[in-house]
Parts: sequence; structure tokens; C-alpha cells
Amino acid sequence: MKEIVISVQRIHKELLFLLTCFLFAFLLNVIAVITYRTPWIEIITQIGYVLAITLVVYCFIFLVRGILFFAKRFLRKHSSNPVNRKLPTIKQMQ
Amino acid sequence: MSKKKVKKVDLGLRQFIKDLGYVTGGAAMLGAMPWLQSFTPEKISEIKGEKARIALIGTGSRGQYHIHNLLPMNHAEVVALCDIYSPNLEEAGKLCPQAKQYNDYRKMLESPDIDGVVISTPLNWHAPMVLDALSAGKHVFCEKSMALTMNQCKAIYDAYRYTDKVLYFCMQRMFDEKYLKGMQMIHSGLIGDLIGARCHWFRNHDWRRPVPSSKLERQINWRLYRDSSGGLMTELATHQLEVCNWAAKHIPQSVVGMGDIVRWKDGREVYDSVSLTYRYNNGVKITYESLIANKFNGMEDQILGHKGTMNLATGIYFLEEDDNVGNSGIEQLLNQIGSKVFASVPAAGSSWRPETKKEYKPHYVIEGDYNINDGLSMIGAVKDGSDEILSAFCQACITGEKGKDIVEEAYCATMLCLLGNQAMDEKRVVDFPEEYKIPYMKF
Repeated sequence: MKEIVISVQRIHKELLFLLTCFLFAFLLNVIAVITYRTPWIEIITQIGYVLAITLVVYCFIFLVRGILFFAKRFLRKHSSNPVNRKLPTIKQMQ
Repeated sequence: MSKKKVKKVDLGLRQFIKDLGYVTGGAAMLGAMPWLQSFTPEKISEIKGEKARIALIGTGSRGQYHIHNLLPMNHAEVVALCDIYSPNLEEAGKLCPQAKQYNDYRKMLESPDIDGVVISTPLNWHAPMVLDALSAGKHVFCEKSMALTMNQCKAIYDAYRYTDKVLYFCMQRMFDEKYLKGMQMIHSGLIGDLIGARCHWFRNHDWRRPVPSSKLERQINWRLYRDSSGGLMTELATHQLEVCNWAAKHIPQSVVGMGDIVRWKDGREVYDSVSLTYRYNNGVKITYESLIANKFNGMEDQILGHKGTMNLATGIYFLEEDDNVGNSGIEQLLNQIGSKVFASVPAAGSSWRPETKKEYKPHYVIEGDYNINDGLSMIGAVKDGSDEILSAFCQACITGEKGKDIVEEAYCATMLCLLGNQAMDEKRVVDFPEEYKIPYMKF
């Protein structure tokens, strides 16, 4: 079975995405409090909504990134430009 | 004249006026509710130690309800009782053993030892008894509605104009704290311009009382027959129409409606289901409905303004700007985004979204505990203004001061009830007749 290695860089990258989503959701909550003139305590009390929105946005971005990744890979594979083709290694030729 | 005794002054009404904010908002409050002018703390102190001698004509359930309210009053004593139905008279006699008993009210009115009479009889007796009592020089407190016919109402009003005696009709909402405070708020613009009123009174009861003999059917179940009752309109609607006029400061010009006997087909003559619309000249309408075979919606007096709704019966008001009660800012934002995204219904063609009833944050007219009349009792509710208005009458019997606008309010409300009955019977729009208009009315 192939081992899947998740590098530290990958983890950092994903955490950064998650943090960005959380900041976005948090900002949304702040805007809502200002717009609808609700009590500022909702910054804390509505944290459930903030976390839920974080998760939804993260999953959405993950989906988009996944689609972009596979689209790139598909295009690379079927591209007519030989430069883009992966040449076999000497070891493979042997 | 009543005997002078050194007794504590009844503080109930004084405190009631104070609680309404007389001390802080005096002139404005009295201007809007002139019938309270006689009951300022200064005037109440004038009757210190005196007692009004009260006689009751009609000692059935409502009469006995009044007796229960009279007994604790320091400024009143029950001196006489009158009823043609002996079981009622006996029951009332147990409550007031010292009161003299009569079967003929005319004989009772001859007694010089009576200052005021409280009339709680079938509606067809109101006019003759009120007029006889005023002629006999007695102050009169009569149950609502004013009378059975428009001519009788006019006769009472005309007699009242020329008598120096006190005349009250039991329009108890005029003395109910919730209504008084609610009206202050309405007239101060809290709910904005008046754009409508919705009143209803639903019960689930056949209105019948047990009858020991078939000969007594029309006497005991007088509410069910047209020669003694105006039905749901005069028994129930009169209070609510009075409240609407009080809020609007005008009288409706026309009425249309439908009445039927839907459930209680037991030989009664009055409708058990009524639905009417009263229209003011500015287009504002009162929607009135009453039926006595379903109590789900209870009793409500809703005054609708462009900024909010006041339900006077419950003492709760709602503001239009609060239409997202319980929703946090983020919930409201998500709802708004959601409505924009899902607003159109392709299958329906054009954009359409049902405006289902929203939840509003309730605001209370009075802080703390207070009584709400659920409208189910056939006798009377607790603390609905009945004891206050009776107390006010007893005070007026001592001072001789006529209550301002009480008769006029009762006249207007009763006339509207009778017109409503006419509209339902004749199945047409009925305008307020010119010959029954009085100077007090504003159309």
C-alpha cells in the first residue's frame, strides 16, 4: 500500500486557508452586527454560526482547488506541446 | 343624605389614578381621558368618610358580581336588592343580609334611603329602568349595552342631557389600566398612524343557562331572543367597538356584515356567528368577528398602526421594526442572502414569495403582573375595570359629579352594535343615521 505523506508545508498551507475562512466568517458576523444593530455580545454568542460558515467556505474553496488541480493535470497530460510531456528516465528506458 | 362616618378613604381608585401617571402627566392624561377628571387624588379626598347607599336591580350572576365588588368598598353600602326571580334574590340576599328586598323595582325607587341604583337586567329593561330611576331622582349605573333599540338609546341620552343625576354605563375598559395606558401610547404615536382595527371575541359555549321550567326559558335565557337581546353585538362587541372609537377618536360612518346561526340551532333567535366591517370616513376599517362555537382565537382588541400593533386585551404591543425577533444579526444576514438567492419560483413564472406571519418581539404596556381577560367568562373577568368604574360611580353618587363622556361613549358603541345588527339582518351597507347623531360624535 502506498504511503501518503503529508508534509509540514501542506499542513501549514491548509491551516492558512482555514484561518482565512475563519477571518472571513468572523468579519461577516461583525458586518451583520453593525448592519442590523444587534448586541455586540453576538461576536461571542454567534460563534457557532461563524464556525459553521468557516467550514462551509473552507469546503467550498477545497472543492474549487480540487477542481482546478485536476483540470490542470488533465490539460497537462493531453497537451500537444512535447516540452510538456514527461520524458522517461534512463532507468525506465533500461 | 348619607350619614357621615369617620372611615378610611378608599385608596383603590386614588392609587389607580396615580399609577396611570396622573402625577407626572396629569393634564395630558386627563385631556385624553376626561372621565377620570372626577377621580384625581384631590377630588377623591373630598368624599372622606362618606358612603353611597346603593340598590341593585337585577341580582343574577352579573348583579352578584357587582355585589362582590361593592362589599369591600369603604364609600358604598348595599341597602336594597330587587329581582323578579326569587332564587337570584335569595342568593344575593345571602351576600347582603342587611339589604331590603323587593320584587318590584318601581316600589324600590320610591325609597328615600337610596342614593344610586345598579341595573343588571336583560337589555330590554335597561331603558325603562334607567329613565324611571333618573325620574325618581336616583343616580344610575347600568350594565352595557345602553338599550335594545336606537330610539331607546336616544331617549336615554336626551334624558341624561337634562338631568342633574349621575349616569354611568358599565364600559369597564374605560377604567382598565391596560387600556388606559395602551391608549396613552397609541395617542402619543407609538404605533404610528391608525390604519385599521381587528377585534374578535370567540367562545365555545351555547350561552344557555339551566331553566327549571319551560315558562322561564325567555326570562333566564334572555340573551338568545331578539325581544330581550341584541345578541353577540350588544353583549360582546359593544366593548370592543368602544375601544376602537376611543383609539381612532372618530366614529365609523358605515357598516356591513353577515350573521348566522351556525352551530347552536336550538330555537334561539340571535346569531351565534357574526362578521362585520365598520368603515371610518378616512377609509380605516374595523374588522369584527365573534362566534361562540370555537374559542381558539380568544378575545383580542388589535389596533393597527403603520409602525406597530397594540393588542389592548393582552396589554402587549409589537413594533414593525422588530419583525426579526430572536434573530441575531448573522441570522438576519443569511436570511436576506437566502431570500435574494431563492426569491424567484421558476414554476410560478414571476417572482413570488409568501409573506407568512413573522415573529415579533412583545413589549408590555404595564410592567409586572396584571390580569388578562380571556373573554371566556359569561359573568365577568377579574380586575378588568369593572370594580374601578363601579367605585367611580359610588364616589359620584356622593359628590354628585357627572362622569364626562361615559354616557356618550356608551351611546356611540351601542348605536354601532345596533347598526351592525341591522346591516346583518338587511344584508346591506348601513350608514349611520343622521337622526341619531349627537354633537359628541366625530365622523
